[in-house]
Amino acid sequence: MTQLLEAQINERVQADVLAYVKRLQASGTAPNEDELKKYAEERRLLYEKQYGLDKPIWIRIFYRVKDVMTFNLGKATTEQISYAGSRDVKTIILGYLPNTVFLFTTGTLITIVIGLFLGLQVAKRVGSFMDRFISILAMVSNSLPMWWTGLLLIFLFSFYFRIFPAGGMHTLPPPQDKLLYVIDFLWHLTLPLLTIVLVSFGGWAYIIRNLVIGTLQQDFVMAARAKGLPERKVLYGHVLKAVSPSIVTMSILSIVNSLWGAMITEGIFNWPGIGRLYWIALETNDMAIVIGLTYVFTLIWLIALIVIDLLYGLLDPRVRVGIS
Amino acid sequence: MNLKDLAKAAKEFWNEYKNYKSGIIGLILLIVLVAVSIGAPLITSVEEYNNWYNPTYWKENPKNVPPMWINFLSRKKMPVHESFFIDANGFEYQDLGNTRVYTTTIVYNFKYDEEPTDISVRVIGKLAQENNVSIKITVNRPDGYKLFLYSAYSSLPEAYENYSSKTIAFATSSKIGRNIINWASQFESEENLRTAYQKPTYGSWVIRVLFSEAKTGILVGEAPPLKGEYKFGISISFFDKKSTLYGVKLTIAGKVFGWMGTDSYGRDLFVGIVWGCRLALIIGVLTSVISTFVGVFYGVLSAYKGGLIDELMQRIYEIVASIPIFPILLILSWKFGATVWNLALLMSLFWWTGPVKTVRSMALQIREETYVEAAKAIGAGTWRIITKYIISQIIPYAFAIMALNVPGAILTEAGISFLLGGRGTQEPTWGKILHDAAVSGATLKGLWWWVISPGVMITLTGLTFVLIGSALDKILNPMLKR
Repeated sequence: MTQLLEAQINERVQADVLAYVKRLQASGTAPNEDELKKYAEERRLLYEKQYGLDKPIWIRIFYRVKDVMTFNLGKATTEQISYAGSRDVKTIILGYLPNTVFLFTTGTLITIVIGLFLGLQVAKRVGSFMDRFISILAMVSNSLPMWWTGLLLIFLFSFYFRIFPAGGMHTLPPPQDKLLYVIDFLWHLTLPLLTIVLVSFGGWAYIIRNLVIGTLQQDFVMAARAKGLPERKVLYGHVLKAVSPSIVTMSILSIVNSLWGAMITEGIFNWPGIGRLYWIALETNDMAIVIGLTYVFTLIWLIALIVIDLLYGLLDPRVRVGIS
Repeated sequence: MNLKDLAKAAKEFWNEYKNYKSGIIGLILLIVLVAVSIGAPLITSVEEYNNWYNPTYWKENPKNVPPMWINFLSRKKMPVHESFFIDANGFEYQDLGNTRVYTTTIVYNFKYDEEPTDISVRVIGKLAQENNVSIKITVNRPDGYKLFLYSAYSSLPEAYENYSSKTIAFATSSKIGRNIINWASQFESEENLRTAYQKPTYGSWVIRVLFSEAKTGILVGEAPPLKGEYKFGISISFFDKKSTLYGVKLTIAGKVFGWMGTDSYGRDLFVGIVWGCRLALIIGVLTSVISTFVGVFYGVLSAYKGGLIDELMQRIYEIVASIPIFPILLILSWKFGATVWNLALLMSLFWWTGPVKTVRSMALQIREETYVEAAKAIGAGTWRIITKYIISQIIPYAFAIMALNVPGAILTEAGISFLLGGRGTQEPTWGKILHDAAVSGATLKGLWWWVISPGVMITLTGLTFVLIGSALDKILNPMLKR
């Protein structure tokens, strides 16, 4: 950080000195070597004061933290990272975020829906072929790198069958027509979306299966069955209601998590989302972006945890009443 | 607990473990993986591993070729990569006073539907004087034609272990190319000759001519391949008394190679995969063992001490747990240039948070047990109670956590290596092989063998530990027991 700032100051001082020399030449006097050095030193001190480099490091850290806390996230250091010409960190993050939401949050939502459906279906038939398949799938996808799956899908669908594009969000140049634009976008979206869903739906189905099976052994389920309720009603009315707090928790956490995107998967599909932004920022040593992203998303994460705590009270009457 | 009790407990545990089919499969896979990683120097060679980053070492291998077992799947048989080494004893030796002549014949049985990509002859020896060796190469084709390919005075410019050597690659030598084309011209039609003369006198098409039937179309690639025994005659003459011959290596660069094919440097991917197994196990097991032990100890201590210390430890835990691990590991391993050992330690620094919450709640229960109280009453110290009375109860469960943590560590390492390539871990891990593949666009060039095998190995290794871990979890986790 300090090094970066010093480099910036150096640049500015040099630019100033050049301007000073030009001014002198315009007025007809030859630049004096000693005078120039003095001038440069003056400017350097001025800038160091402006940037706060004259203060001890802990004060600088304090100001930096204060800035970040108040969302004064600063500007990206290099031109390489910008959104619509702006280098403001907030604008950049907000600019890249929708791309990640389109891909990862959509993917997570689809995963949750498929997982919920499959998990419930499988829980009804423990030990069936489908049940065993889901268990194996969950184990495999637990150790399956998402980005590698992406590579395989690119190979299969972009190289071999040539159905989907290998990466990017749009064909270049993007089509002008609104409808075609959307279709083109969806066409590019399919492959990465497929990757995300493929890798994660097995795990979801398995977790939901386990939750449901655990609840099915509870007494109130037996009571509901004894009452003569149809199995459908038992499953969707009683069991689903009982497991809903856990499912809501997991869903919120994974949706919040999805906002992070994924560094490698986005890189592979050349998808301009948050994950790739983070990676480029790391590569170009753009600390303003790195700190900004880390802070904002940790904050969102903590807020999500609080929201979950509150929701628990809403969904689970036992929590509301308290154990006292 | 004495040895007999331990044996009994182990037997009981095994009897229960036996019932989990997935656990057994996991165990078998683990044994295979461990065997491969221990036996890596025997399966491949240490030399190959040490030369992984040395492109000249892999120069003779064909580049970007698929594994040889694809020959079983397709009707068209591709030439397998072969190399022959004849040492000085395998040569016929003639002493003509000032000239000493070594001659030998190497028989290559060609039984494929396509020609090899290249053939190279490497003469290895020691020269007393520059330009003091003459190399002659001829070939006897199966149809009886004898071709004169190459003859020149030469030095031995390249180093080869303690000797020096000279490599004559057929596909890049226009001398050899011209000889082959001139010979083949006699069978060719006027029209085909005209097209053939516009091509350069070198390249893999010349090799194709050498391995084609001698009839019209031989120069334009229309003649079918001629199968049978090709006898390469190599004769080496020294014109002084001091120069020595070490041997000759004939390499037929095939279109398929080994069990897993080669990458764009001609590296044998099998070597990378086998040695990567060792690296993956080091990373995975070391990280999960360290972090699980730290996490278990942390959780137990926090629960046992209680009060203010518990509060403080829980807050520290929460801070560490909310740090985004992946980017930080990325930066750290990048800035410090990690080896797998360093990376494993770095990962443990952030990973111990995993078991803390569960272990703490378990320890809170155990703390209230009467035997802990009794131990306290007779004056046992904190350390003794934690290790002897609490952790010993949690240890079995810790093993399950440990196994379940391994895949995450391997995946993280693979991700870091994949992103950072040479700037990440220094060793050729599976993630790094995939990085190389991605950098050279392997997916879009269709080099599937380069992408599939490392990924399959990552998944398989992860799966191994998941299978074992979930079986252990079912047996040892008191919360899942019914």
